[in-house]
Amino acid sequence: MTAPSTLDRLSSWLHRHSGVRLAGLLSAPLLWLFVAYLGSLAVLFVSALWTVNSFTGDLVREPTFANFRTILTEEVYRTVTLRSLGVAAAVTVIDVLIALPMAFFMAKVASPRGRRLLVIAILTPLWASYLVKAYAWRVMLANGGPVDWLFGGAGNGPGYGLTATVLVLSYLWLPYMILPIYAGLERLPDSLLEASADLGGRGGRTFRSVVLPMIVPSVIAGSIFTFSLSLGDYITVQIVGGKTQLIGNLVYANIGAANNLPFSAALATIPVLIMVIYLVAVRRSGALEEL
Amino acid sequence: MGAGLGQRGAREAVWTSVKAGLGATAVALLLGTLVAFAVQRYRFFGRDAVSLLVVLPIALPGIVTGIAMDTAFRSVIEPLGMGKGLLSVIVGHATFCVVVVYNNVLARLRRLGGNLEEASADLGADTFQTFRNVTFPLLRSALFAGGLLAFALSFDEIIVTTFTAGPGVQTLPIWIFNNLFRPNQAPVINVVAAVLIVLSIVPIYLAQRISDTAAGGRL
Repeated sequence: MTAPSTLDRLSSWLHRHSGVRLAGLLSAPLLWLFVAYLGSLAVLFVSALWTVNSFTGDLVREPTFANFRTILTEEVYRTVTLRSLGVAAAVTVIDVLIALPMAFFMAKVASPRGRRLLVIAILTPLWASYLVKAYAWRVMLANGGPVDWLFGGAGNGPGYGLTATVLVLSYLWLPYMILPIYAGLERLPDSLLEASADLGGRGGRTFRSVVLPMIVPSVIAGSIFTFSLSLGDYITVQIVGGKTQLIGNLVYANIGAANNLPFSAALATIPVLIMVIYLVAVRRSGALEEL
Repeated sequence: MGAGLGQRGAREAVWTSVKAGLGATAVALLLGTLVAFAVQRYRFFGRDAVSLLVVLPIALPGIVTGIAMDTAFRSVIEPLGMGKGLLSVIVGHATFCVVVVYNNVLARLRRLGGNLEEASADLGADTFQTFRNVTFPLLRSALFAGGLLAFALSFDEIIVTTFTAGPGVQTLPIWIFNNLFRPNQAPVINVVAAVLIVLSIVPIYLAQRISDTAAGGRL
């Protein structure tokens, strides 16, 4: 009989102390997320209270609410915030409307082979470069391009602008909506649908009373993606949005050309606030487990 | 292909993207797995808060993560004598990649339950042996799927990268974006775009191979 090695002793010691095991598991990830992420967010909020000296361009590290006052009082920021919210909401609604039947077909109707092919078809654009896809839409939406042709000639299509932005963002984020809903529907037993049919529920009734309540968390999970991704986007808008500006563009413009970091930081708190309100509102639905 | 990837700028950018993606994926695999184990295997105070914290970087818009890290770098890290570079890109990417590994591992751990590990302990294996011989092999495909997705997210990321990349650090999406509106670069962009689309078949094929039940894993 050999004496237990250090590793053995460590192993059994760990086995007896579950608190130590938990601390061991959590310390590195929490340290990372607290320092790198929450720490950065904290610095962001603090610097939103700073200002920039308009003569020298130097940072003035004295807390004031001047930036927030500007955002709240000047018309343009309210307009852009509402426009960004509108775009995010429109993209989310469009994606839900397309994703529900699509995911339902994949999970409940298609043959195993067809399902596999459809999953691949939905994952493929997810792996293709975001910029390449946005750029492809720029070509499609160009004056006299394929989309114009579809509407019956040059200049008849939507062209570049707000409509194009909503269209392209809906296209870009669609997989993020389909996949959670598909996963939710796959877990929904077919027997429930059969039971509903046996009890006389037609297709529409079964969908409303059985399917929809069960997949609400998945839909909300998808909407967190589409909403947040749309709310922060400033690149698609630059590529197909024409002169349209969203919150992201203002944040980017202030950090770049205007070199007003504190004001960008103040502007960036708007999407944070919107998303935190949204997350708190949907927390109880169990949607966060579906992400 | 020769003209596209043969171009120094594009080729260097691909290399930078690969390095950033591998770095971020490695960090995400480690941290995501650790949190998934903690959340799935233990009941502790603040457990919901921890899982919310992991999800937060992907639930908040990328521009928020980007500008927050940029601000932190400019006003806290740089005065300490460390500038932005490739490392800051990896830190930024890893932060939002943790959640995809976490999700994949968590889903797998839920499905597995603890029976096999208990059996292993009953048969006399210690904690480390059980992990090496029982838990890890069962997790491998989930880790692979999560890692693949993390790499893809990082490889395609542009917003956080814009804010965290140091001067001279150019990932492929940044390079494409910088050249997108230059007419004389259009052919090169088209070639790089076409190559990227063709190459995207590789991870999809791999993801399909490793997970025939989960149909390509989850987000």
